[in-house]
Amino acid sequence: MIIRHNPVFHSFSRVIFFTIISLSSTLTFAEDISEPLGNPDHSENHLNAFSLKKGERLFYGLISLGENMPSCASCHYTAYTDTLNWNPSAYDIAGSYSSKSIEELRMVLMEPGGKKMTEVHAGYNLNDEQVELIHAFFINLNESQAPPKKPVINNLFIFILLHIIILLAVIDLFFTKKIKFKAVHLVVILAGTIWITKTVVVESIAVGRQKNYAPLQPIKFSHKVHAGTNGTDCFYCHNIAERSKTAGIPSANVCMNCHIIVREGTNSGKFEINKILTAYDNNMPIEWIKIHNLPDHVFFSHAQHVGAGKLDCAECHGTIKEMDVVHQVNDLSMGWCLDCHRTRKVQFVENEYYETFKDYHAQIVSGQMDSLLVAQIGGTNCMKCHY
Amino acid sequence: MEKKYWKSLEELKIDYRPQENQGENLPDKNALAELFDDKTISSNSSRRDFLKLFGFTVTSAALAASCEMPVRKAIPYVIQPEQITPGKAQYYASTFFDGHDYSSILVKVRDGRPIKIEGNTLSSITHGGTNARTQASILNLYDDARYKHPAIDGKETSWEEINGKIINNLNSAKGKGEKVVLLTSGIISPSTRWVINDFLQAYPNIRHVVYDTISASGMLLANEKSFGEKIIPSYSIDKAELIVSFAADFLGTWLSPVEFTKQYVKNRKLENGQKKMSRHIQFEAGMSLTGSNADKRIQIKPSEEKIILGTLYNLIAAQTGNTTFNSEPCKINLTSLAKELILHKGKSLVVSGSNDTENQYLVNTINSMLGNYGNTIHIDQPFNHKQGIDKDMEILVKEMHEGKISGMIMYNVNPVYDYPQSELFIQGIKKVGFSVSMPVFTEETAELCNYICPDHYFLEAWNDAEFKKGQFSLCQPAIRPIYNTRAAQESFLRWTGKPDAYDEVIKTYWEKNMYPKSGATGFYDFWVQSLHDGIFEPDRSSASPQPKIELTGLSGIFSNIQSIDTGIEIQLYENVSVGNGKYANNPWLQELPDPVSKITWDNYAAVSPKFAEERSLETGDLISINKEFKLPVLIQPGQAYNTISIALGYGRTTSGIVAKDVGINVYPLVRTDNKNRQYYLTHSEVKKAGSGHQFAQTQSHFSMEGRPIIREASLEEYLNNPVSGNEMHEEVDKHNQTLYKEHQFPGHHWGMSVDLNSCVGCSACLIACSAENNVPVVGKKEVARNHEMHWIRIDRYYNGDVEDPAVVRQPVMCQHCDNAPCENVCPVAATNHSDEGINQMAYNRCIGTRYCNNNCPYKVRRFNWFDYTMADSIKNNTRDPEGMTLDLKRLVLNPDVTVRAKGVIEKCSFCIQRIQDKKLTAKLENRKLQDGEIIPACAQACPADAIVFGDLNDPESKISKHFSDSRNYHLLEELHTLPSVGYLTKIRNTSSES
Repeated sequence: MIIRHNPVFHSFSRVIFFTIISLSSTLTFAEDISEPLGNPDHSENHLNAFSLKKGERLFYGLISLGENMPSCASCHYTAYTDTLNWNPSAYDIAGSYSSKSIEELRMVLMEPGGKKMTEVHAGYNLNDEQVELIHAFFINLNESQAPPKKPVINNLFIFILLHIIILLAVIDLFFTKKIKFKAVHLVVILAGTIWITKTVVVESIAVGRQKNYAPLQPIKFSHKVHAGTNGTDCFYCHNIAERSKTAGIPSANVCMNCHIIVREGTNSGKFEINKILTAYDNNMPIEWIKIHNLPDHVFFSHAQHVGAGKLDCAECHGTIKEMDVVHQVNDLSMGWCLDCHRTRKVQFVENEYYETFKDYHAQIVSGQMDSLLVAQIGGTNCMKCHY
Repeated sequence: MEKKYWKSLEELKIDYRPQENQGENLPDKNALAELFDDKTISSNSSRRDFLKLFGFTVTSAALAASCEMPVRKAIPYVIQPEQITPGKAQYYASTFFDGHDYSSILVKVRDGRPIKIEGNTLSSITHGGTNARTQASILNLYDDARYKHPAIDGKETSWEEINGKIINNLNSAKGKGEKVVLLTSGIISPSTRWVINDFLQAYPNIRHVVYDTISASGMLLANEKSFGEKIIPSYSIDKAELIVSFAADFLGTWLSPVEFTKQYVKNRKLENGQKKMSRHIQFEAGMSLTGSNADKRIQIKPSEEKIILGTLYNLIAAQTGNTTFNSEPCKINLTSLAKELILHKGKSLVVSGSNDTENQYLVNTINSMLGNYGNTIHIDQPFNHKQGIDKDMEILVKEMHEGKISGMIMYNVNPVYDYPQSELFIQGIKKVGFSVSMPVFTEETAELCNYICPDHYFLEAWNDAEFKKGQFSLCQPAIRPIYNTRAAQESFLRWTGKPDAYDEVIKTYWEKNMYPKSGATGFYDFWVQSLHDGIFEPDRSSASPQPKIELTGLSGIFSNIQSIDTGIEIQLYENVSVGNGKYANNPWLQELPDPVSKITWDNYAAVSPKFAEERSLETGDLISINKEFKLPVLIQPGQAYNTISIALGYGRTTSGIVAKDVGINVYPLVRTDNKNRQYYLTHSEVKKAGSGHQFAQTQSHFSMEGRPIIREASLEEYLNNPVSGNEMHEEVDKHNQTLYKEHQFPGHHWGMSVDLNSCVGCSACLIACSAENNVPVVGKKEVARNHEMHWIRIDRYYNGDVEDPAVVRQPVMCQHCDNAPCENVCPVAATNHSDEGINQMAYNRCIGTRYCNNNCPYKVRRFNWFDYTMADSIKNNTRDPEGMTLDLKRLVLNPDVTVRAKGVIEKCSFCIQRIQDKKLTAKLENRKLQDGEIIPACAQACPADAIVFGDLNDPESKISKHFSDSRNYHLLEELHTLPSVGYLTKIRNTSSES
């Protein structure tokens, strides 16, 4: 509904500044984990900075937990990643356990109820002090800043580099003249310009589009496990797709239909499923990240496409069944929509509504036509989608 | 027949012959600068800056965007309620009643927030009709100028604490036997009355006083004299063949305008073979909505009403064998009117908007002599909403002043603003020991009270209503209370010492009282059905008694009648937008052009052209009235000479930002006479007191330059020749050919028809359209620059004598031409024709050249000069003087319609979102679309059913029948624009005039 522009940069220096920041953040990324996170004063237990540091080092394995006990961090990532790691990350655990007692944490660590935890935590024997220190570390981690984003090196870096190279080439061509073969300058300038133009064009087209967008969700929910392995029908969870504008994110009580019994997953153990239980028990909705986004000036209805048009979900969303982390398969651009509207056949004979199109109907009944495309009944009109 | 139509006095004066000095008519170049803010002009950005910015913006935005996209969340329910489908609208039956207007409604709720109000077609009172205020009431829900929490002496407190203190106060007053008063508006809710009765029984020292902002006390007392009961009868205007109204604006504001409009137009539609039309004669001073629709309008001064009624009584009494009385006859010859009335005995109706008991008693006797009781007037189904007797309030204020009242509890009243002697009331309330107010919106009275117990808004609350005796309706919450408010009824219950929830009380009441009348099996079924329907109207016999009126006391009345020179008279009236002022803080209503004067954001002193000329007044001059009230003048054709009409409801001092300082409060001009408050004033002193007031008027800038836009005929001419007045249509049709390829409409071809005979100009459609299509509010300054954004407007033309013109109205929206001039000139094809005959507008493609706007002969396209809606995030673009972009107010936006940003053209889309929705429903249900299934917002809101929408490709549809009607024509059809909107000619029942 609201048309918002992306923030724009007003001067070149902003761009350079941005580059420096993004580069330096990559370089300092490795150091981040060895720094104490957050301010120790925030700790509820009033533990001093030393014990916090100790707890942190225990977690990262800088202080050994004991023989044959690999560090926590070797399984529990301390940052979000792009690939699916079934183990809960340090932030995830901190979120769940910082509010619970040390005793509870000790129970889970040493005497886990779940099959998977029992298996992987076998042989772990931490003393009370270690558990306490790790617990303190969790509290601190939970109170510290939001999980760091994975730094991205994008086209911007190359973009600026090329600008510099072109500039140097121009300077050398006219002033310094160190390289004698002028063809070199020309090739550099030409190739650079072509690359820059290409980038600008490609990126401009991609503005506001999110093809391959695959954010990590608050729960490591795998469509591969649910729709693929277990063969759950799409409409079991997205049951309003056939009658509403949205396909509908299932409410927690729909999850509970199965998870009231299924309390442990083969991959994730109990940790992820517990999040649903917690949400359900505390009446706190789960805040999923929306993957497929359309601009506000586009009206799209699932009911039209799935309900009336009888499209299969996979035709737009790809083979969700095979995705652990769902990503956007198509760019959802207007061209992509129209391509389909121009080639797709309407459920003309099957649906009595289309009897309104008298001439077409007569032609189809008499066999003069065998089918009708969406575009032929106004599928490319502006006001099909924009109003 | 050739008539010269004019829209304003300025236009009437314009000479259309070629001028020698054309340059004088060219627009002033300096005026262009006014389009921009001072800020815009003073900023020193150059073309170079622009290019620099542009270049960098494109590149860096493109690059930056690849790493930054806003993260959007999708948050489902924890436990999804069974009936709710996210993304689909739910409709809840409810009731709109604010102490004055009533409508049975459906509330459209989308994902938890109410976004639109529609009429409930099941109601036998409103039949699915609504008025402007009902439509606009949805926006008040999101008004941030509401009381947000209970408060003691202006400080926030808890409900427990405020309850404790109020109960203490009540008990101590009870113990000492001190007088406490409960002051309310007329209460139509039976359950509320029950709750209040309990409350009054618990505290026998409390007296209940009813105060109606706009009083009907005169009528109540007259009926008590006639029938022994203080009632307001209901009317069947549809059964009346002759309607004579004395300043009763029954189509606009009087008693039950929605119901009356439905009834009124039923007798004036000439379709389905109906050849009869009612005749309507209006006596009034100021040009009201009702008066402008009358077949004959007679200008009188408000004080002349009594002598005219007396004369009319004598004329009728003489012919029906009743007692006549000696009195001076009036100057107007009423012989033919009396004859006509007697001719329509039992099928006529005389009504009066007066608050004078004697006038109303005369009206009663006239109606009785004409045998109208039981036929067009029903005293057995009275209205319940006006119960206040003015004398009671007068006594109360006196007692307050004398310090005899130790406590006051006020519910749904705002006397500090709207009581004529408000100064007395203010002094009085300061002498009252404790005062409690239960307001919804920020108001003058509550500010002076010790305890503020804010009430829910009606969309958040449970309630029931008995607007007309025996016809019940329910009100249910459509959203959880937004603020820390409590239903007033629950406040009463707590103070009575009961812990019950009000909805349980309603249920109990209905189980006891309504359920036995229903014949349903099981209360649960009955309750669910009533809640679903929103109404419960137990079958009642249609036979209505014919009461006999004893003609007593008439001699007393006649002895009062005398014609004297009353000087300049001021008439005070409610208009159809802000009404009595309760909803003055609603920007939609403030921006609604008055159906007669087309003025927004103001009240004014309407004077007749002759009066103005005599005193050399011009529109925009200021006059002072009785040396106190300073108002701008509007020269209003049709205004009675030596009268001035001023709208009430303006000049709020404590309200939200919208109503503040808009217009002048003229309630203090109301005076008490014959025991009742009179809404007119004689012998007024008027002086010119300045000039230069600028009105925001939507009047003369859409001028159609004297072309045959409105076509009309008299009933007689129409019956003789159905095409009369519309001869041109056939002629144009003959020439209807083209060399170009014509549009093909393989499936649907949408069309709309407007019956000019039905449209009364109430403007409900304008508000409905604004609510449905997220039409922005631009504020007074922008309207004055002709930047208003309404997608549908109601053009009003006058014809004939300046002093006594006839009025015609025409709703104009995008005509969806099949040969549209706008489509050809768009350089980016942002507007083009769809396969269903809709002139479509793609906002995101529009670059704002406004060529289309320029090329549209109907001037229905609107341009967003500024970002009125905060649709983009560039701060300086936003222009929102009325706070419409507050997060809370934005909840009213329809999520299915794009919010337009600065620099794009917008216009009527035939409510394409509704078309698409119903088409989809049909597809999902595997069936063809039914005729009448798709109803655009304007047609849905219309209480007169003047707008018909449908598929022109379906020969059986109602719209096809309208299009083949002999009265059908198109606007400027000679231009060969081939509009998809048709108009049915206006027919006036002026034939039987003698």
